[in-house]
Amino acid sequence: MLFKTKKSHYEHLRKKWTDRHKSLQQTLFEKHKEVGRQVALSGLGGLLLLTTPAANLLPEVQLLTQSQIDKEKDTNAALAEKLKSTLPSEIRPLTLEEEQTISELLSAQFGFIVTSQIQGIGLNRSYGLIGGEQHLYRYPGDNLYKHADNATDWAMYGSAGIAPGLGAWGYFATSEAQLSEKDKLREQYYLAVQTFLAPGFAENVAQYRDFFKYRKMLVINSKTGQSVVAAVADAGPAEWTGKHLGGSPEVMHYLGLAQGPRKGTVLYFLIDDPNDKIPLGPVKIPERLAKI
Amino acid sequence: MKYFYMKYVNIEFLVEELHEMDLSERERHHLATLIDLSMSNAILDEILSNLSEIDKKAFIHLLQEDPESEYLMKFLNEKVENIEEKIKKAADDLAKQMHEDIKQSRRIK
Repeated sequence: MLFKTKKSHYEHLRKKWTDRHKSLQQTLFEKHKEVGRQVALSGLGGLLLLTTPAANLLPEVQLLTQSQIDKEKDTNAALAEKLKSTLPSEIRPLTLEEEQTISELLSAQFGFIVTSQIQGIGLNRSYGLIGGEQHLYRYPGDNLYKHADNATDWAMYGSAGIAPGLGAWGYFATSEAQLSEKDKLREQYYLAVQTFLAPGFAENVAQYRDFFKYRKMLVINSKTGQSVVAAVADAGPAEWTGKHLGGSPEVMHYLGLAQGPRKGTVLYFLIDDPNDKIPLGPVKIPERLAKI
Repeated sequence: MKYFYMKYVNIEFLVEELHEMDLSERERHHLATLIDLSMSNAILDEILSNLSEIDKKAFIHLLQEDPESEYLMKFLNEKVENIEEKIKKAADDLAKQMHEDIKQSRRIK
């Protein structure tokens, strides 16, 4: 590592665990000969650590592993460039015309339908300031530590903490045993949006509540083009915060907004996905569509 | 293979311990990565140690093809008796050693 520390407890662990890791690698290498060498050199061990569900990949929508983040930043940067001429310089609600132009551009770039309204229902805006949220309780008895699939995950996302209350739709599952992979992904990649400010909400609370529950949205960092498909799982933030939506620690990470003030300007549009085909998680523009 | 990790590795207590330590974000991340890498290697070693040379190659081929395939576990269950318990034990043993390391590091002034 390039950084230095004077913390003796850290140094002790770092040295001990680095040595152990090398020793385990050496064991693989020597004990299993040809196969072990293949494992050690190819980094196959790293396959154990994958944090994105590769099995859910669509041909046109590629989820990214952590190591691909920087690359993704480059490929989606072209989108940010294209958006530059369309987006206003100040953070304000887009006009209907602007929304139309941008949703058409995003649909063409990502290869799925991106829109500001579905069945006549939409949020009050689609361009605004996102802030970092905490993790949500997924089932009774859940805790922060259980949110991590592996230690690296925890180190990356655990510091955000867990919200004291439940999300707007309560628990994601009734128990730990009932928690499905889909539930886990919904919490990992969740958004809090201002459903209560959606035009027509007050007159149709039940309908809107059901409409927005786990509704998929595309969120894009307007400066870098980094994009995430996320599910609405909470209502907020309050108007007085000055923020317009909130993102889970994972969403903020993949938008490139997890550091510093943990906020930034984003575009956020609904995804029309009636057959539930678009996977949640960071999303990259397919190369052949990027040329459009 | 994330499946192996999620199903057989209990790192909750390690994570809790690290959480309570005075560590910067980078330090915590570095130690967490070492936990994951060591776990991965320990599990792979346990798996490979229980397979014949031919089956090792077949397993590695399957792993490279699709690390998320449910067939991986089916393959292992067909080849090795009680493989799930063996994987779990290998992971638990390593986790206990690492837990001891953490406790030891806390005693260092």
